[in-house]
Amino acid sequence: MDKNTATEKMKQLEWYITKHCLWQYNSRGWDREIQNERILKKTKQILCGENARDDDSYADRYYWSEAITLVEAFKKYFPWVEEMTKEEIAAVMHLLKEKMDYTMIKGSLNLELTKEKY
Amino acid sequence: MPYHQFKCSECIPERLKHAVDKGAGEELTDALPLGYLNTIPGTISERGCAYCGAKHVIGTPMKDAIHLSHGPVGCTYDTWQTKRYISDTGCFQLKYTFASDMKEAHVVFGAEKMLKKNIVEAFKAFPNIKRMTIYQTCASALIGDDINAIAEEVMSELPDVKIFVCNSPGFAGPSQSGGHHKINLAWLTQMVGTVEPKIYSKYVINYVGEYNIQGDQEIMKDYFHRMGIQILSSFTGNGRFDDLCGMHRAQLNVLECARSAEYICDELRARYGIPRMDIDGFGFEALSDSLLKIGYFFGIEDRARAIIAEETARWKPELDWYAARLKGIKVCLWPGGSKLWHWAHSIHKEMGVEVVSVYTKFGHQGDMEKGISRCESGALAIDDPNELEALEAMYSLKPDIIFTGKRPGEVAKKIRIPYLNAHAYHNGPYKGYEGWVRFARDIYNAVYSPIHKLSFIDISKDEIPADKGFATQQTYSDAGLPDAVKNDENLRKCTSKYDPIPDLREKTYSFPDPDTEKWRVIPNEELSRKNSGTE
Repeated sequence: MDKNTATEKMKQLEWYITKHCLWQYNSRGWDREIQNERILKKTKQILCGENARDDDSYADRYYWSEAITLVEAFKKYFPWVEEMTKEEIAAVMHLLKEKMDYTMIKGSLNLELTKEKY
Repeated sequence: MPYHQFKCSECIPERLKHAVDKGAGEELTDALPLGYLNTIPGTISERGCAYCGAKHVIGTPMKDAIHLSHGPVGCTYDTWQTKRYISDTGCFQLKYTFASDMKEAHVVFGAEKMLKKNIVEAFKAFPNIKRMTIYQTCASALIGDDINAIAEEVMSELPDVKIFVCNSPGFAGPSQSGGHHKINLAWLTQMVGTVEPKIYSKYVINYVGEYNIQGDQEIMKDYFHRMGIQILSSFTGNGRFDDLCGMHRAQLNVLECARSAEYICDELRARYGIPRMDIDGFGFEALSDSLLKIGYFFGIEDRARAIIAEETARWKPELDWYAARLKGIKVCLWPGGSKLWHWAHSIHKEMGVEVVSVYTKFGHQGDMEKGISRCESGALAIDDPNELEALEAMYSLKPDIIFTGKRPGEVAKKIRIPYLNAHAYHNGPYKGYEGWVRFARDIYNAVYSPIHKLSFIDISKDEIPADKGFATQQTYSDAGLPDAVKNDENLRKCTSKYDPIPDLREKTYSFPDPDTEKWRVIPNEELSRKNSGTE
């Protein structure tokens, strides 16, 4: 899959998250980093058929719940997800993580992200 | 996304960065309105104060406490009953409001003695209520009354009562949102961990940022209970004081209105390791996704799927009847804080309406990130608009309806635009599958109201048509509809009862025992129906 195709697919996944999800909007930048990292990593692992459970802690169950729900939606909205190879999934998810990090954290104009306390 | 220059605000240049037009292909990183800033001198804001945010939004929905304002009576009275946060135990919190009634003499000589007398009097007047919340106001804050000390004194003299003090005077922030913040942290610091709750299910959540407007919490509670999930506490709609003191024992915080209650969730996560899961209780798809992920968290996703299938089959034909008739309706989605993002995408996708503008009165930039993301290109996003800006927007965008509070709503009606009450609702609840249909019905009734159509006739000069007979909503809504839709037998109008909540209160539910995992019925009386301290 070339980069343009991967980018196009990434934009579709990003569109879904933008319209349907809330986990990416925590009010502090450090929380957004953790949310993006853990949920998108588990999403990629589930899509690739890998183990996405680190332990049975409440925290891990939470990130996994968000990820597995996202995977179900991706498969429903974008049937091409199930036709991709593991390498292609990894490539698209890598682009998605970069884009989410930029939009929600690095390029965000939200002045509250750098506040030190909740 | 270019900033939007209101003509009426050219004389207030600071307002420019508070409004943005969402252009095609543009992103949040291009422009985002400023938010949660002090109101700009010269612009008349429609926000509430920090006292109001603490007491009237968050504290008062708690159902089994005396809620007392330490200040002039107007602080309590002027915002009393503007919300319909009902409860399943008789709505004590709506029927009675309490103020210490500070006067000039108290400002000069102090009001602590008078406050103590008031607290004792209130407890004596309501012997079945053993819990109290006290709210500082501007007046009592400025004279420095030590409310906490008085509360301690009373609690030592009346050992069966508990009192929570919230120091959030009106000036403690740019808007009511400052009060949300203060009471979140005050409750967490003073109260959470002081009660060990009774756990009767293997699956336990706190339901947070939910205020039971016209029964929203009870609609959602029905779904959670059908899944076997115990709602340990409800923060704060239909919530019990003592349950909220035991929030630290939940396995998951399920958060609806992040704007008003994310702080306590974030702190519960940091201090007690309880994850925060943001959900949408509005809209068929968003609600289904929310129930599903809660189900996944507990490993009971099959129970969630069963509810989703049953509720969708029951209510979708009714939603679709309205969707067929609401397609293309232009909406200004102008609520206080969270509903701009709870509703923006769902009403567009599931009812076909076009959101031409979103605004928030007290939201932060995070709320705008969500709202702008979830609405479509072309929408005008405004932070904390003044009345003239709202009028200018309505004249230029020509919406068919506004979803907002009752103060700006009445302004909209004056220029003949119908409004729905986005805060207290018209004929809610609006949450849940049934609630979403009720919302669609309210939109339909407002947009196609024959009375509203008549308002466009100026009887001082317009000719009154004598050749047209009586019209109904459906006369107008079905005028351009294809016959196939008009006669579609799979679609039907809303069949929800006038008030669907009483039936829910009679239902019984089973829960899995936390140790044996054996499912058994928990009697209704044990499901948070008794006043704290009277068990």
